[in-house]
Amino acid sequence: MKTETEFVKGNEALALGALKAGMNAYFAYPITPSSEIPETLAKEFRSPEYPEFKIFLQAMNELEAINMVIGAASTGAKAMTATSGPGFSLKQEGISYAAAMEIPFLVVDVNRAGPGLGNLGPEQSDYFQATKGGGHGGYKTIVLAPNSVQEMAAFPALGFSLAFKHRTPVLMLVDAFLGQVKEDIVFPKIAQEKFETPWAATGARGAERHLILSLHLDFEDQRKHAEHLKSKYEEIDTMEQRSEEYLTSDAEVVLVAFGVVSRLCRRAVNELRAKGVRAGLFRPVTLSPFPARGLKSLADRGIRKFIVVELNVGQMVYDVKLAVEGKGSVDLIYKLGGFLPTTADIVHRVEMASG
Amino acid sequence: MTTLQDKATGEYEVKLGRLPTLTGKPTHYCAGCEHGVLTRLIANAIEELGLREKTVMIDSVGCSVMAHEYINVDAIQSPHGRAPAVMTGIKKVRPDLLVFAVQGDGDAVAIGLLELIYAASRGAPITVFLVNNAIYGMTGGQMAPTTPRGMVTTTTPRGRDLKDTGPVMDASKLLAGLEGPSYVKRVFLPVTPMGSTDLYSARGSLEGAKSVLNAFKVQLMGGFSFVEFVSTCSVNWKMSVLESKRYSFEVLAKLFPPGLYVDKMGVEKK
Amino acid sequence: MGQASGLVQKSMVIIDSEVCKGCSLCVVTCPQKNLKLSESLNRIGYHPVEFHYHGDKGDCTACGLCYWVCPDFAIAEVRRLKQ
Repeated sequence: MKTETEFVKGNEALALGALKAGMNAYFAYPITPSSEIPETLAKEFRSPEYPEFKIFLQAMNELEAINMVIGAASTGAKAMTATSGPGFSLKQEGISYAAAMEIPFLVVDVNRAGPGLGNLGPEQSDYFQATKGGGHGGYKTIVLAPNSVQEMAAFPALGFSLAFKHRTPVLMLVDAFLGQVKEDIVFPKIAQEKFETPWAATGARGAERHLILSLHLDFEDQRKHAEHLKSKYEEIDTMEQRSEEYLTSDAEVVLVAFGVVSRLCRRAVNELRAKGVRAGLFRPVTLSPFPARGLKSLADRGIRKFIVVELNVGQMVYDVKLAVEGKGSVDLIYKLGGFLPTTADIVHRVEMASG
Repeated sequence: MTTLQDKATGEYEVKLGRLPTLTGKPTHYCAGCEHGVLTRLIANAIEELGLREKTVMIDSVGCSVMAHEYINVDAIQSPHGRAPAVMTGIKKVRPDLLVFAVQGDGDAVAIGLLELIYAASRGAPITVFLVNNAIYGMTGGQMAPTTPRGMVTTTTPRGRDLKDTGPVMDASKLLAGLEGPSYVKRVFLPVTPMGSTDLYSARGSLEGAKSVLNAFKVQLMGGFSFVEFVSTCSVNWKMSVLESKRYSFEVLAKLFPPGLYVDKMGVEKK
Repeated sequence: MGQASGLVQKSMVIIDSEVCKGCSLCVVTCPQKNLKLSESLNRIGYHPVEFHYHGDKGDCTACGLCYWVCPDFAIAEVRRLKQ
């Protein structure tokens, strides 16, 4: 009798989660620490368990891979690719084009230390690149930030759902630790969603043809298109902000963190509470749209101290400052180099800031 | 730390010795890897030409990412696949320098193929050494453009199927078809099995040493030089060191025949 | 490595045992079989190669093939007797 829980590595869980969500095509290029994603998919390719998984192709670099994704997704297929820092940089051109052409697909960035070649430890330094549009032009994507192997398994389905609902690329920003760690999970039973794609380019049989373009030479056409994208992003902002709170209802100081850092902060909150500090945790689950409403309501309720903990020199901290609208102080605890802060580090720094 | 093997009588001269162009740092390369051998051949050529203080090497991305730790010259890190472009930039402003890069089959033939083709087509006076071991080594054994049909890799777990993945790429033949390159050579670098004896030939190293020197001479004469070293990757091929030499000889040397493909300056005749 | 009195060793191979990874490329390349992996382990956990002037197939001729095939610079020097 097969037990329900499985002990799986983050990257593998993500790959299997994508398959269970009915992914049709995966275009690969290996880069540490994301390579287990294409390797798992290569093993499962042509398995009768995943009849929807029709295409696995290793491209010659990340540019090729993202453009293959654009092609497949333009026909309405569920396509995905995964990479890490240097490869994520290469994909920015493609993501910009896809955002303009409103093509839905998933891109996973397993964030390693950077910039440049960096090292293989976890960082959250691709936050700006992911959330502020790392490619040219004014666009946004939806960015999901899992913090457990369980979420690694569940988020591909959520990602595809959001991508097709709003016709946008969806990014998953995963820190390198989460990609590599193994945890007990239960694979969510996901009904594979079928998405309507009336816009797709599949051959204009008897119907009006579909043009998937991003060039609008006429200035008025370009303006209308940009306004359309703007209202789409506003709609996404209204509908899709996601976050999780822990012990915030009576908190005096709220830690703000995503990814693996949020789990260290959760432990720090417990230790602080045991020492009499009324700490809480606010965890963004979508980094874009940034869950500003949730943070603002904490500030409106009277919380005056926010401490952002992130693995970079300060990126999400600015979004928190904007969300809090000056009603409270926003400080930063950071860690670089691929290291994770210890719970003791965080507790100590919060105590120093509170005292 | 040296162990002097004997306290013999008489006076000895060093026929082959330590090179100032090597840092002496122990390498991270796997046991038996041709990257290590090539490092020695390059260090030897730079020393022979007396160009240690006029050389800039480019680290590419792959197993050779730390090559600067072993070769005692100035070094610049290039993004993955872009070494030929970086070297072109250097030579344009400093044509007096000797530049080279050691690239793997992923770096040069996959992600960096465009940069390689254009630098070669322009006849840029640079030198590219390709270590072709038919797999992505540093990232843990994924398929490369040079992986032979049927080889098991982590992204071709049931063996490479050319119908699914496209053809095996021959970098030397590709470059030889362009007008720009002055020297294109392919060398079988591993120790070569010789029939049924347990004796292996070192001719790969000797041919390799000459080819590295010739490649540098071509650059000094203003031409683009490229040497492809058919090699091995015992760890990712999941073979012993000697098994990997035999596999390379039996399969890769036939798929990628060694030889002199282009020699516009006649450097091998001199 | 004792010698019969009156006989002089014509060559020697100096080995850096602590960087040797026991890949045995020099062992299989040496035509005189002067090189063998040691029973003991070096600091990095490999059986390093050892030089025996009187090999299974003859005395070392300082051909230097070992030097050219070694990937780790463990074959540090090949010396021969000055004429």
